[in-house]
Amino acid sequence: MFAAAMIAILLAMFMSLCRALLGPTLYDRLLAVNVLGTITVLFIAVFGFLTGRPEFLDIGLAYALINFIATIAVLKFFEYRDMGRATEEELDI
Amino acid sequence: MEHHLVLRVIAKFIIPMILLFAFYVQFHGDYGPGGGFQAGVIFAAGFILHALIFGLDHTRKVLPPVVLRVTGALGLLLYLGTGLAGILLGGNYLDYNVFAADPISGQHLGILLIEMGVGITVASVMLSLFYIFAQP
Repeated sequence: MFAAAMIAILLAMFMSLCRALLGPTLYDRLLAVNVLGTITVLFIAVFGFLTGRPEFLDIGLAYALINFIATIAVLKFFEYRDMGRATEEELDI
Repeated sequence: MEHHLVLRVIAKFIIPMILLFAFYVQFHGDYGPGGGFQAGVIFAAGFILHALIFGLDHTRKVLPPVVLRVTGALGLLLYLGTGLAGILLGGNYLDYNVFAADPISGQHLGILLIEMGVGITVASVMLSLFYIFAQP
C-alpha cells in the first residue's frame, strides 16, 4: 500500500520537476518548486512509514517550515531585488 | 512588505512554531533525528523569516549583531568548557562519564551541554551571515 503511494509520489515529483525545468515564466517555475517541496514532505512521511521508522515525520515538519521560507525569500528577491527592505516608502528612494 | 497582509499574519503565526520546533529538535536530539546544528539552523530560519517579512531593521533591533557575536562566542565557550571540565574532573577531553556518579546520566548531561553550545553558535553565525548578505 505504501509502495503504491510511493510510486504515485515519485511520478508527481517527476511531473512537477518537468514543469520547473520547462516552465515558460518565472511564476510557473516558482509554483512548480513550491509544489515539489510539498510533495517532498509527503515523500519523507511515506518513506518513514514504508521503512517502519515514523520518526521521519520530524524531518518532514522541518522541511515544510523551511520550504515556506525559501519560497517567500525567492519571491521577495524577484519582486524587490533586495532581501532587507521592509516598507514601500523606503523603496521610493 | 507592508501591504502583504496575508504574509504578515501567516508569518506572525508561523514564527513561534518554527522557534518551538527548533527547541524540540534541540532537546529531542538525544532520542530522535536532530541535534544542535539542525536546531540552530531552524532557529535562525525563524528570524530570517521575520527579517524577510518585517524588514531587516526591525530584526536588527530584536537581535543586534553585537549580541550575536557575543552569543556565538558563548556557545563555543560552553563547548570548550564542557570538554575541559572533563579533564578537570579526572577524565579525558570531552569525557562525559565523570559528570555524574552514574556514567549514563553523566553522558546525558554532557551531550545536552555540548549540543546546546553547538546550537547557540550555529544560530548566531547563521543569522550574522544573513545580516551581512541582506544589507542593502
